[in-house]
Amino acid sequence: MAKQLITFTVNGREREVAVEPHWTLLETVRETLSLTGSKEGCGTGDCGACTMIVDGRIVTSCLMLAPQANGRDVTTIEGLEAIGSLDPVQQAFIDAGGLQCGFCIPGMIVAARNLLDDNPSPTLDQIREGLAGNLCRCTGYTKIYEAVELAAERIRGSA
Amino acid sequence: MRTFEFEAPETIDEAVSLLKKAGGSARPLAGGTDLVVQMKESATRFPYPATIVSLDRISELRGIDFADGGGLRIGAGATMTDVATHPAIRERYAALAEGAGFVGSLQTMNMATIGGNVCNAAPSADTAPPLLVYDAEAVIIGPDGRRTLPIAELFRGPGQTALAPDELLVELRLPAPTPATGAAYQRNTPRKQMDIAVVGVAVALTLSGDTIERARVALGAVAPTPLRAKSAEAALEGKPANDETFAKAAAAAVEDSSPITDIRASAEFRRHLVKVMTARQLAEAANRAKGSA
Amino acid sequence: MPDDTKTRESTSADGNGHTAVGKRVTRLEGAAKVTGKTVFADDMKMPGLLHVGVLYAPQAHARIKSIDTAKAAALPGVYAVFTAADLPDYKRNDSNRNGLIFPDKEVLFHGQPIAAVLSEDPHIAEEATALIEAEFEPLPAVLDPVAAMENDSPLVRQPLVDVDRSEARGHVSVETEETEQQDEPSNIASRAPFARGDVAAGFAEADVIIDRTWRTAMVHQSYIEPHSTIADYDASGELRVWTSTQGPFHVRNELAQAFGLPENRIRVTATEVGGGFGGKIYLTELMVAALAIATRRPVKHIMSRKDDMIAATPAPYTHIELKTGMKRDGTLTALQARLIYDSGAFPGAPMLAGCILVGGYYRCDNIDIKGFEVLTNKVSVGALRAPGAHNATFAIESHMDMMAKELGLDPLEVRLKNAVAEGDLMPSGQAYPAIGLRECLEAIADSDVWRRRREIEATPNRGVGLAIGGWIGGLQPASAIVCLNGDGTVNVTVGSADITGSNTTFQQITAEVLNVPLDMVNVETGDTKTAPYAGMSAGSKTVYTVGRAVKKAAEDLRQQMFELAMKRLEVEPEDMEVANCQVQVKGAPDRAMTFKRFGRLSTNFGGPFPAIVGRGAITARKIAPSFVAQAAEVEVDPDTGGITLHACAIAQDAGFAINPLSVEGQMQGGASQGIGIALWEEMQHDEHGRLLNPNLLDYRLPTSRDLPPIETIIVEVPSEEGPFGARIVGEPSIVAGAAAIGNAIDNAVGARVDEAPITPERLLRAMSKL
Repeated sequence: MAKQLITFTVNGREREVAVEPHWTLLETVRETLSLTGSKEGCGTGDCGACTMIVDGRIVTSCLMLAPQANGRDVTTIEGLEAIGSLDPVQQAFIDAGGLQCGFCIPGMIVAARNLLDDNPSPTLDQIREGLAGNLCRCTGYTKIYEAVELAAERIRGSA
Repeated sequence: MRTFEFEAPETIDEAVSLLKKAGGSARPLAGGTDLVVQMKESATRFPYPATIVSLDRISELRGIDFADGGGLRIGAGATMTDVATHPAIRERYAALAEGAGFVGSLQTMNMATIGGNVCNAAPSADTAPPLLVYDAEAVIIGPDGRRTLPIAELFRGPGQTALAPDELLVELRLPAPTPATGAAYQRNTPRKQMDIAVVGVAVALTLSGDTIERARVALGAVAPTPLRAKSAEAALEGKPANDETFAKAAAAAVEDSSPITDIRASAEFRRHLVKVMTARQLAEAANRAKGSA
Repeated sequence: MPDDTKTRESTSADGNGHTAVGKRVTRLEGAAKVTGKTVFADDMKMPGLLHVGVLYAPQAHARIKSIDTAKAAALPGVYAVFTAADLPDYKRNDSNRNGLIFPDKEVLFHGQPIAAVLSEDPHIAEEATALIEAEFEPLPAVLDPVAAMENDSPLVRQPLVDVDRSEARGHVSVETEETEQQDEPSNIASRAPFARGDVAAGFAEADVIIDRTWRTAMVHQSYIEPHSTIADYDASGELRVWTSTQGPFHVRNELAQAFGLPENRIRVTATEVGGGFGGKIYLTELMVAALAIATRRPVKHIMSRKDDMIAATPAPYTHIELKTGMKRDGTLTALQARLIYDSGAFPGAPMLAGCILVGGYYRCDNIDIKGFEVLTNKVSVGALRAPGAHNATFAIESHMDMMAKELGLDPLEVRLKNAVAEGDLMPSGQAYPAIGLRECLEAIADSDVWRRRREIEATPNRGVGLAIGGWIGGLQPASAIVCLNGDGTVNVTVGSADITGSNTTFQQITAEVLNVPLDMVNVETGDTKTAPYAGMSAGSKTVYTVGRAVKKAAEDLRQQMFELAMKRLEVEPEDMEVANCQVQVKGAPDRAMTFKRFGRLSTNFGGPFPAIVGRGAITARKIAPSFVAQAAEVEVDPDTGGITLHACAIAQDAGFAINPLSVEGQMQGGASQGIGIALWEEMQHDEHGRLLNPNLLDYRLPTSRDLPPIETIIVEVPSEEGPFGARIVGEPSIVAGAAAIGNAIDNAVGARVDEAPITPERLLRAMSKL
């Protein structure tokens, strides 16, 4: 099958990429754009390690076919940091100890960022609901909840 | 995944003619949360598609409209998030908002569409029992034109619908809500999120005073298709809305179900849950009906 | 200074005089992880890379009649196809899972790899595996380990010879050995008996006896990163391996033996491990290395989630028959157990550890424990965080509660009464060193959930449960190097894979010994060619052993600086100290030489000092077991059997928590895995031995909605040998979960499920509602 040319915005930059129809958005971003922060943990949308923000909403990019990304606005973990400094959510995950092996973390942070964009003062229950699509096997989630609460507090404080 | 041709039509007619041209070897793709998974696992219930017809450029499929007299129109391409958060659906068709909200993680809800949930036709589809209790209709477009089908007739078996390979589900229509009606959907899963329903129960009750004027009970994951529990409905209509009636109806609902034993649950457990959950949803629906009088 | 230094805990001396250890310090690799820059094996690219697709056997037990690879090889884009016959020479050992790449005659479990396809396109590699035509003659598949023990059971496989248990020893060191399979062919791979006293007499004295069988499901480590390995073998003759492993030196040693290569011609890099939990030691490296050797190209193998669930090394199904007796006053009088561990088609089940622990938590004069490691035609098992422990603990900790309940005794008091302490004997006869089991029990009494006990018990359908757990831990030699840089900063190099934040802990240890700010110290895990030896990061011993080596190396560096400073400071080393990033005369900061100066003098052109390299090497002889106590609050829906976990607390004896932030994380992580095992996790097979739920949808890991915040209480009973008194830490927190939850459920609704996971359906049956 011939490749298709798609144009989409990734982390604020317009990209034009030739893709095979059976490639997913995840593998396109990882292999063709070399943005390997997003991970494949299961390939079937059950773990959230591949979470990206597409047109303002989080998705499991392992289930989005690459051609479906045409014309869309995509944010990956690499898009969160400004040059030389970390997004407050990223910093909060470090400070609260909300990370161990780090494999689930890019997807988790993207989901958390999106959660706080929609709801700057989430309750604990809302945090737990917002992150239910992101599995973590290392932390038991406790310090992840603390990280999101810390991030929310800091973002509100500097608003 | 094995490769395929990928088309991204911009109108319904284009999509239908692509499906027709492919002569059965094409499948429509919306959110991908079922179809892409099945293709990756080589577990489609149909031959692996040679062509994928993506629907996400067809803006006509997206809208949700509610008109007081006219009822609800949901484009098949509306996502679960769209359905679960739409104010008119949350207020007037609460069971459907609940069903859409149970479908999975936020990520899944953002991608999955109501059309996809219905056409994938899993017996456990969470929007199906609510659509059944709201007497929804499926609007279908094919090469020969448009037709409408009661939602119950759309489901033909596990993973099978009444759609021909060149037909597209474009819209779901729900009649205007009746006053003094309450509806609710609940499902049973091992975890709090992310699971396929072991049992799903939707109920809609229209009350006249304390009497049940009209009842709809629909079950998911306990038969080859989502289905209406007609014996339960018969045990409700005309009866007083109380626990005794609900208990009898719940027992009748068990008779309407034919669950299997699989890795998620035994048939016995599912029958038990039908009884427990139907009684509970009936009580909840009655409360909501009283609240909306 | 880069921004991230602000996040590190300020290191000023605390009450103990500690400046860096005992402090909550954030991960030194944190910034890389939160930005997605950390390199995991699948993130690596290189020219000429070939991807691997593997064909897994569809039968649980079968003779291989033929494998025809012609169609697969003909698919455009396929580079090569390999079956057993096509592999390069290697030292094959059919008795070990890791001694056999592909079988040529007999398939022993559903999911056993039998062929591989290589392609530059991973999709094509996968597609081609479906074109390989393999014909089998089915043989009787033995799936039930209890039935497999019968004399008339069909044999799972050819008899075992030359079983290699070296990997298992990396997880736990106990002074006893299993008896390997005897001459008579049997499915029992090994047995271990432990006895003392007279159980008959013990039962005769008991006022209550509980006799019950407990079963725990096969469960999967479910690291979010599947097995990922790259290997390359080029004209230089060096075998290069990048792999997600907890044990790079173990991998190197095994590959050296397999291919007859000297260890110094093999370079194994442990890439960042995206979760290991014991399941990522050595599995696919042998196959991937063989393919690299055969093709002379880099070969990458990333297991799909489905394949990892089917064909990796899960934790065993166990069947444990336990009989215990207790006197009215709460004294445990007798303990008799028969523990059957289902090892799958190859030996390696952690039966020994289970035997030691079932009889190792409480003093008891009369014990009779028999352990059996049984083969079946299922995927063979590996280690999962405290391997063998949660299974045995589910049994004994349920019994303790059941006996206490029947006698009207308090579950905490009864445990305190019988809990082992220093000098008490394990079933093996080995005496415990100083341990903190009692202290953990006392600490859990202070937890929020245990304090609310009465209130919870008074609420319908809510209950609280308590259980203890523990882990003996592993021992292995270790080493470390600490180098002084030209500017006075310090590089620490270790050979241990950092799976739990150990490198951050080593940073703290070094900073403490040298009395410098954390950011003066960098820690790296080198590869097997550049790093000094360390054992596998398993058995919870990384900080316990490598940390000791790091401390020694830092002390050695310090001593070297002292000796070099003698001439200029005009005092003996005993009169010197490190402070303010300098070596100074004690109490006289103006009579000093800065680290920076040492750095320059030891690295500059014509520098008068030799390079300053500190070396630390240790062997660990003393175990430092760590115990936990866990309490859980549950609510049961009495009609659906649904179980909600409302609160959970865990107390653990860490000896000395060098990094409390990290120790808490280990406690919460292990506790969450124990809870998963208690309530949801189960690998389900059909009657043909095929895994029915090889995915993360129907193999259920707890989500954030399932787990409330977990309270942690760190207890500190110092170990004798660990750095600053630290003990083994990583594993014990998984052990008590199943029992704690089972006890809480019984407290809530008065029903016991003797099978884990405790599902709603099983609970309803136990409540006689189904």
